[in-house]
Amino acid sequence: MVGAERDVIAAANIFSVLAGYAALVPEPSAPIPIAETAAGMGWAGWILWLPAISTVMCGLCAALRVKNKLPAWITVGLLGSSFLMTLALWLQYDQPVVIHLLDWIVLGGDRWTFIANFSLYVDSLTLLWMLFVTGLGTLIALYASEYMEADVRGGYARFFAGISVFLFAMTALVMADNLLMLYLGWEGVGFASYWLIGYYYRKPSAVAAAKKAFIVNRIGDLGLALAIYLIWHNFGTVEYRALFEALDSGSYSAEAGGWSIKAIPYLLMLGAFGKSAQIPLYVWLPDAMEGPTPVSALIHAATMVTAGVFLVARMYPVFLLEPASLTVVAWIGGLTALLAATIAMAQHDIKRIFAYSTISQLGYMFMGLGMLSSVGAAYHVFTHAFFKAVLFLTAGVVMHGFAGQVDLRKVSGLRHLPGFRITSFTMLYACACLAGVPLITNGFWSKDAIMAQAFISTGPGFRALGVIAIITAFLTAYYAFRVWFRVCAGPVHFEAGEEQPDDDHAPEHGEFRPHAPRLAVNLVLIVITIGAVGSIFLKGWAGERIEDSTAAYYSPLAQGAGFWEDPHHWMPWVASAVGLLGIAVAGYFHLVNRKAADGLKNAMLANPATRWLPTAMENKWYVDELYHLMFRGPLWLGGHILNLFDRYIIDMAIVDGVARVPRLLGRGFQPLSNGILQSYAVSMAGGVALLGILVFLMPQLVDWLSRWMGGAG
Amino acid sequence: MVDKLWFLIPELWLFAGVVVISVMGLCKARGIRNAVPLVVIGFLAVAFIITPLLYTDDRLAKVADGLLIPMLGKYVKMVVCAIGIVLTMLSIGLIDRPLEQAVASGRARFDPIRVSRGEYFVFFLLSLIGVMLVCNANDLIWLFLALELTSLPTYVMVAISRPSRKAQEAAVKYFFLGAMAASIFLYGLALLYGSTGTIVLTEMRDAFAEQAAAGGLNRLALVGMVLALLGVSYKIVAVPMHFYAADVYEGAASAVTAFLAFVPKTAGMLAIILLLMTVGWSGHLGPGVEGLPQPILITLWMICVLTMTLGNIGAMLQRSAKRLLAYSSIAHSGYMLIGVIAGPALGINAVLFYLLAYGVMNTAAFAVLGALERKGEEIESLDDLAGLRHRHPALAIVMAITALSLVGFPPLLGFLGKLYLFMAGVKAGHVALVLIALINSAISAWYYLRLLGLPMLAMPTPTSETIVSRPVIWPRVAALVTAIGVVGLPLIAGRLLSASEAVIQTDEVSPMVDQFDVSMADQPAEDQRAP
Repeated sequence: MVGAERDVIAAANIFSVLAGYAALVPEPSAPIPIAETAAGMGWAGWILWLPAISTVMCGLCAALRVKNKLPAWITVGLLGSSFLMTLALWLQYDQPVVIHLLDWIVLGGDRWTFIANFSLYVDSLTLLWMLFVTGLGTLIALYASEYMEADVRGGYARFFAGISVFLFAMTALVMADNLLMLYLGWEGVGFASYWLIGYYYRKPSAVAAAKKAFIVNRIGDLGLALAIYLIWHNFGTVEYRALFEALDSGSYSAEAGGWSIKAIPYLLMLGAFGKSAQIPLYVWLPDAMEGPTPVSALIHAATMVTAGVFLVARMYPVFLLEPASLTVVAWIGGLTALLAATIAMAQHDIKRIFAYSTISQLGYMFMGLGMLSSVGAAYHVFTHAFFKAVLFLTAGVVMHGFAGQVDLRKVSGLRHLPGFRITSFTMLYACACLAGVPLITNGFWSKDAIMAQAFISTGPGFRALGVIAIITAFLTAYYAFRVWFRVCAGPVHFEAGEEQPDDDHAPEHGEFRPHAPRLAVNLVLIVITIGAVGSIFLKGWAGERIEDSTAAYYSPLAQGAGFWEDPHHWMPWVASAVGLLGIAVAGYFHLVNRKAADGLKNAMLANPATRWLPTAMENKWYVDELYHLMFRGPLWLGGHILNLFDRYIIDMAIVDGVARVPRLLGRGFQPLSNGILQSYAVSMAGGVALLGILVFLMPQLVDWLSRWMGGAG
Repeated sequence: MVDKLWFLIPELWLFAGVVVISVMGLCKARGIRNAVPLVVIGFLAVAFIITPLLYTDDRLAKVADGLLIPMLGKYVKMVVCAIGIVLTMLSIGLIDRPLEQAVASGRARFDPIRVSRGEYFVFFLLSLIGVMLVCNANDLIWLFLALELTSLPTYVMVAISRPSRKAQEAAVKYFFLGAMAASIFLYGLALLYGSTGTIVLTEMRDAFAEQAAAGGLNRLALVGMVLALLGVSYKIVAVPMHFYAADVYEGAASAVTAFLAFVPKTAGMLAIILLLMTVGWSGHLGPGVEGLPQPILITLWMICVLTMTLGNIGAMLQRSAKRLLAYSSIAHSGYMLIGVIAGPALGINAVLFYLLAYGVMNTAAFAVLGALERKGEEIESLDDLAGLRHRHPALAIVMAITALSLVGFPPLLGFLGKLYLFMAGVKAGHVALVLIALINSAISAWYYLRLLGLPMLAMPTPTSETIVSRPVIWPRVAALVTAIGVVGLPLIAGRLLSASEAVIQTDEVSPMVDQFDVSMADQPAEDQRAP
């Protein structure tokens, strides 16, 4: 609470307060807090079990063919309870604890052990994540109860079962006390994501997107699995507490451990980049927008994609063993942020724009982690969860209202339409957060904590990264408001999408009527927006969440307190300036003079020297095509060659050949089982005799053989 | 004496059941006759419940010297009763069906001479009593009588299981060959008596220990033991006594086949373990060296390898599902012998666990076959299973799960059973044996996957379209219960294993719970070990 109070005062003090946060740092690094075993906290396990129960109950609803909104209410109720228990856990939290739930895997003996139990590791980092995961999860399930109502007769229960599975897996991921349980959750969220992206399984593009997400994630998961193995190999444990104790003892170093320790952070990184959609594994996220919009909001914007950030934050001590790895994290993050922002500028599909913006913002988070601003990164995760959820949910309202229309050129003037006012204004605020409008938006505060740090931390090219971050901030403001000015402002004009309208709002007299959101959707939008406003004041609080966790590595300080010496002083001005400039540019091209935007684009396309830029941006820099060429082509070819090899060499020559041997043997023995009693009796007696003779001749035989061999040798 | 009788209470109780149902089976009232199987289930359930209550430590202390493995009974009796209940369910509606239908429709009058349902269940229970008595055997005569009490009723059960000549032919073959095997077994026992001068197992153990210390067992004892093992191979369907299996299993009704594949096999396995306990697994190859005496080891080794291999190869060639499962039963006996060769405590525990696992899987497979029929005849051919999923999805799934479990697909029951057996084999140093078993497991996938693929993937054929399920629901219940067991028992494998571990305790701290506990039970490993 001290942090929050300080924030209120700080907000009054405008920018100078940021210096205070930097001054919060006592020393460059602090010992890792070691968790204690908590007794009598078993009830916290229900945070994990409630979503699991919800899954089972939704599954039952599906099996019993429930055709009403029961699955939604089950999910909202149980997830809400889970959220309340998380709140309770947070209120009584005072130090990191391990809560043992049940034994899962206990292997080994005196020489080695492999212990992975169902236990919860609760420190403030866990709580920070759990609060927004369960909180937003509940709200988005509530939103979905209305959004998905067209499917009440179809996959309604399946949808909510998927949401519950996701929450269960995400909870396991975040609250795990060992890497194996984290991996379980990691795969679980991947599976839930696959399940929900492919929710409209009759749509080929959704199925393809689900497969793509799953396969690209597998590449990252391979890294994570190898990292877990190497951690176990080097430190002899996968439990956080034992691992951090081992690291804290200082007896491990990357130099002494050789490649097998040095490789760990890079492999972890691969896992994190897969899950959090960073270069080179980001390509699945835009396609994941094929899923229903609440899924995009919950899984592919607010929660699951931050799992990679969580992994890096949780394993921060391991990354610090090999500081060069953090530089890689920072650079990948920065480049992803820029690349995704340029792509987002040229897209027309609202959800895809927001998807690229998610990738871009995740890039900021990794940049923050890599530049030792774990506070900034965690705070940005927290604020981003709110405003990105709102953005997706409002995009969902547009889709829902205009029969699946997601092209920003085909919907305009939404704020003048009756029923869409709340949508327009919550979207406006969320866009402002994304753009980083000064003072009143949470994105502003979290983003420039990271950007300023780029000019403080010393690392290869961090200043250049800072410049990239500033450019990206400008682009972000532009594309965010491009969406808002196009869709919500301007003259009223809309075209319906291609989805078949339901009976409820069928076009009357051939004219399409937008379907305005009702209570549940509006309520959720308002609540999350209020949360976004509230999170402005929570920077200190989010900072505290980091302090006694494993990510507690304090950011380096600025080398002076003057305005120009401390980037925390001037960065807010720069950030405000580029943000407002971006909005102004967007306002000119997409509100005041929409023809100018098209004119500019046409002019660039007409000029051979600049034609490549808009084309490449619109085509996502051809990365999908590049991957196709680089990986899918060779794999396809290799697959076909191996297929031929398998069919002709393995199957025909080896397998069938080997299989023929026992079958021939069998045919040889078959005459013995001819069904005649006497022959059976003779065979049995003969068998007994034969075995008896063999048994008593065998020693002599063995003896003779060994003598003969010995003689020969 | 009273103390010994105390542990026979379950047997005595079931014998009371035998008397009751033999009367009930002859009752004129149809309701009472129909209640026979339910009464059998009731008696078995009570025996299941009272068994653990009887085996108390102070009682055991009084008889500990008289029995080789005092705790064996608790585990085996409970397993036998539990599986006996499922087997009873499977047999409901099997015997006297045409007659009872005729009586019900008024076409015939009830005639006590013509009914045999009561007898069937009498023999059923007597055979189970036989297995339970094997556990309490303290001398060779008892052992032989108990084994024969297990087998003799099964000959009759095969004969009356279906009104067809095939069943009677099977019963005659089974009986004659069984008699021959019993004579070989008895001959072995006689030689053992000649070598040691006693028939009491504990005294034989001491005599063998003296012989071993004096430079090895004498030849008479070795020949006797080898013959006894070969004789009892008949009960466990091991090479070279396996020839009858396919014919008999095919001839009997599925319910009886399931019974044959579990009950006599359990009795035979226990008899082998008891006989080998007198010899012991150490001190024969030199002081402190583990291992059976060489001739016995070679015998078992060859039986084990041949049984596995011939069983699996034989199964590959079958077109009849029952013959296939008969050969598979042979192969599984081979796997179990690995545990016997490995010896206490790991190997024997693994065998005991596998007996339970095999009992469940095997009953599940036969329950599916027993639950289906065509024109009142049980199905036999594999082709009849084609496309089962379309007509009887639940049974098809049970068959698929069972097939996977029989292959040893993790995390099903069969996988755990094989894992423990093979681990015991490796720990005892019989790596070659385990490798052969692994190759055999791979071969077995060939035909087990047919049991999976035909019901689940193939399309129904005109012949398999005509298959209907039996009018009584109980065989399907049995299939479901055992399938749940195949999937669910691994979850409490830690507890089952500790139960089988309680049977044989050694001083060394090597039970599997310590070494390889992958249990998903919620208790720490230490608590699971029985006191």
